[in-house]
Amino acid sequence: MIRGVIAACGGPGGFVGACLMVLLIGDALGAPWIAPFDPLNVDMLNALSPPDATHLFGTDQSGRDVLSRVIWGGRASLEVSVVAVVIGSCGGVALGLIAGFFSGGWFEQFLMRTLDAMASIPLLIWAVALVGILGVGPVHIAGFTFGNEVKLLALLGLLYIPTLARITYTTALGEAGANYVAARRLQGVSVPRIMLSDVLPNCLSPVIVQATLLLAIGIVIEASVSFVGLGVQPPQPSWGNMLADARNYLFSGEWWLSVFPGACISLSVVAINLLGDGLRDALDPRHSTSALTA
Amino acid sequence: MTEDLLRIDGLHVGFRTGDRTRHVVRGVDLRIRPGEVLGLVGESGSGKSITALAVMRLLPPGAAITSGRVTFRGRNLIEASNHEINLLRGGEIGMIFQDPLTALNPALPIGRQLGDAIRAHQTISWRTAKSRAEELLALVGIPFPAERLRAYPHELSGGMRQRVMIALAVSSNPSLLIADEPTTALDVTVQAQVMELIDRVRREFGIAVLFISHNLELVAEIADRVTVMYAGRVVESAGVEALFETPNHPYTRQLIRCVPRLDGGRGAMPTIPGLPPRVELLPPGCPFAPRCEIAEARCTMEEPPMRWRGEQMAACFLAAS
Amino acid sequence: MAGLLLRRAGFSVLSLLLVSACLFMLTRAIPDSPAWIVLGQDATEKQVMQFEHDHGLDRPVAVQYASWLSGVVLRGDLGRSFITGRDVTGEISKTLPVTLELVVVAFAFACVLSLAAGTAAALARDTIVDYGVRLVAVLGVSVPGFWLALILIMAFAVDREWFPPGGFVPLSGGLAEHIDSIVLPTFCLGIFYMAVLSRMTRSSLLDVLGQDYMRTARATGLAHWRVLIYALRNALVPVVTIAGMSFGYMFGWALIIEAVFNINGLSRALLTAIQQRDFALVQGVVMIFTFVFILANLAADITNAWLNPRMLAASA
Repeated sequence: MIRGVIAACGGPGGFVGACLMVLLIGDALGAPWIAPFDPLNVDMLNALSPPDATHLFGTDQSGRDVLSRVIWGGRASLEVSVVAVVIGSCGGVALGLIAGFFSGGWFEQFLMRTLDAMASIPLLIWAVALVGILGVGPVHIAGFTFGNEVKLLALLGLLYIPTLARITYTTALGEAGANYVAARRLQGVSVPRIMLSDVLPNCLSPVIVQATLLLAIGIVIEASVSFVGLGVQPPQPSWGNMLADARNYLFSGEWWLSVFPGACISLSVVAINLLGDGLRDALDPRHSTSALTA
Repeated sequence: MTEDLLRIDGLHVGFRTGDRTRHVVRGVDLRIRPGEVLGLVGESGSGKSITALAVMRLLPPGAAITSGRVTFRGRNLIEASNHEINLLRGGEIGMIFQDPLTALNPALPIGRQLGDAIRAHQTISWRTAKSRAEELLALVGIPFPAERLRAYPHELSGGMRQRVMIALAVSSNPSLLIADEPTTALDVTVQAQVMELIDRVRREFGIAVLFISHNLELVAEIADRVTVMYAGRVVESAGVEALFETPNHPYTRQLIRCVPRLDGGRGAMPTIPGLPPRVELLPPGCPFAPRCEIAEARCTMEEPPMRWRGEQMAACFLAAS
Repeated sequence: MAGLLLRRAGFSVLSLLLVSACLFMLTRAIPDSPAWIVLGQDATEKQVMQFEHDHGLDRPVAVQYASWLSGVVLRGDLGRSFITGRDVTGEISKTLPVTLELVVVAFAFACVLSLAAGTAAALARDTIVDYGVRLVAVLGVSVPGFWLALILIMAFAVDREWFPPGGFVPLSGGLAEHIDSIVLPTFCLGIFYMAVLSRMTRSSLLDVLGQDYMRTARATGLAHWRVLIYALRNALVPVVTIAGMSFGYMFGWALIIEAVFNINGLSRALLTAIQQRDFALVQGVVMIFTFVFILANLAADITNAWLNPRMLAASA
């Protein structure tokens, strides 16, 4: 049975990635129960103490337990990346399917040109500029208050749409002209149904692979944006803003402030990339050269 | 008797997968004399292309010559250094491949590819190479050769591309041309033109040809002698007329029967029943026995040795005598 | 070739217009007028209206945009900051060269190293060289540049003092000092794309080496180095495309690296502008980023058309 799981993940690399992902998701979901301390609990007496038995990762400049902050930080990072990818996928796949199916129409041209234009700015610049313009601060929707990172996650989701739409569009375009689609049409099946039940499954594998890539990028972007103060706002922990704090202590030797949050970012990215590579091998035996293939 | 130009003795070529080796060429003997055309016939998977690639040491990754000897003009090619083999390739031995579209570099104009090939074997200036390339294009019957030098492979038709390949192969006056299914990827009308070109070129320059094909009729047109391969081994070898008049091996006989004839009656077209065997699952005994019309018990127990009759040989216990 | 270039250029202009329009609308849609920031929260309505009138902010958005656009196209003038009163183009031209140098050096480093590493890995497939390159590539792709920067600063600038921990020393301050100050930042900036490009080069080259035309090249007896050139001409096409995009992306990541190393580049200007709600400057900087990105992609396409003219036929 283990063999079957390893095969499903596309090999040992993918399996390791999947295990790490499970850990990451477990951390995100179970943060309130796993974290030994309250990440916001200030304790100036113990400020800047190195890792020991009680504080496995040490404490930061306000005496807060770094391990707990790292655990909660993972939750924030994953929250932003996952929701962004979900938004991007739903929007992108829908738009791509429509454009691919009704190709030759004005919609296709208009959509593709707009998406190409959107794709002409580096993701990070877009994110920073737009969040910057909107301003930093909590978001109030329907009586609920969310942290600043919601802006980032919404923006990233929107910015993911062009890539995912283009991938879906390319596949859908190819499939829409295929014989089996024509056959279904002759059977009298409505176009939306064909799109959903026949063409969509074929588009999914490249989308899934790209989505995992975007998940990894999302984590790094969230960390970077938080690092410059435009993402998750202190005192809420994020791996990015923890590194921003750590920067002030480079010279005084409190290495644990920089090492642990950054290592977590790296591990998460490795995990997602391994999983993504594995999925690509499992889903698409014919290798297409994507940017992060080996 | 003139010395053989190319001589293959007991060639074995295997693919290594993991810790097992499966042999696709299992003891092939071949001789070509200078200026002679030898047709090598067989179904897909019989090992004929691999044999040819082995001569030039152009085997795909994972494949290797496991035993045997390949001698060209008395020189052992298997033990030759990389440098020596590179001199031979495109020099004394030219090769044309099956699919001219994929066999030519899509990124470079054909004049450049020809020029590079010429200059790989002679130290001449680029200008001289260019005019030689133009001559070659004219030789192979490409109109407007001067302009065509700048063309890219995808701008030419299939027949023209194959002509370019032929030009490439004979660019340094080889004494042996290996043609691996040169017309398989072409339309029938173009096939005839290319066959005619190969024949003309080899006569004009006295080039020996190893002509590989699964198409018996084509081989009959051009070959002086024919060798038939099945499941990695030679099963029959004879002069072309002798082969067609008195085929000795049952496989050859059935092959010849399969060729449709204009004066043959109308009715069901004959085929050879069954499928060619997979190299990993060869049964004991003669590999053709499962599909053979006249197989006996002996045939399924031991592999038949080569039996000679004058210039003809066949690997069959029941070869007609 | 000319037709392709024209089409791409035209399309790029369209993208620039779209992006600038979008940003413009967004900044004008924000309810907080820059007036409040300059004049302070206690300003009277009259003062605010006067401010807005002075800066043309009370005109319809389309008119404002048209006026800004004509300034850019006719005079190369990206407008004037409402907050600082300073000329946006001037601000940018002070900081652009620094960022440009960082990115160019990092890009060169990434390209050269990835070409060498990727080619070596493809040629020595499944040997220790190959595994080594792939391992470094996986690490390079996963480790965020700015974290690497922090670690390297701690290791080499604090503990060992081999390099300065930050700051940018221009050429005028001495060649050795200048190089010292850019080694760590360019390394951290380039390592990610070096990893990506080397993986790309490796897989593309492996693909090409298995193609029929490579067999023909060897069958014609070409020298080994020429066979490699033949392979690279085909293999580099997707790599060049990604490299072009990478140049543009690097401009973005330079933002973070500059923040870590305290370098006064374009990205620093962007962050300050954001802090000060100086949207004119934000607009200008983002436009420059977009322009560079588009230019880099165009350059990549031109290189590809030269490398492999069949692409021209394919994309025409």
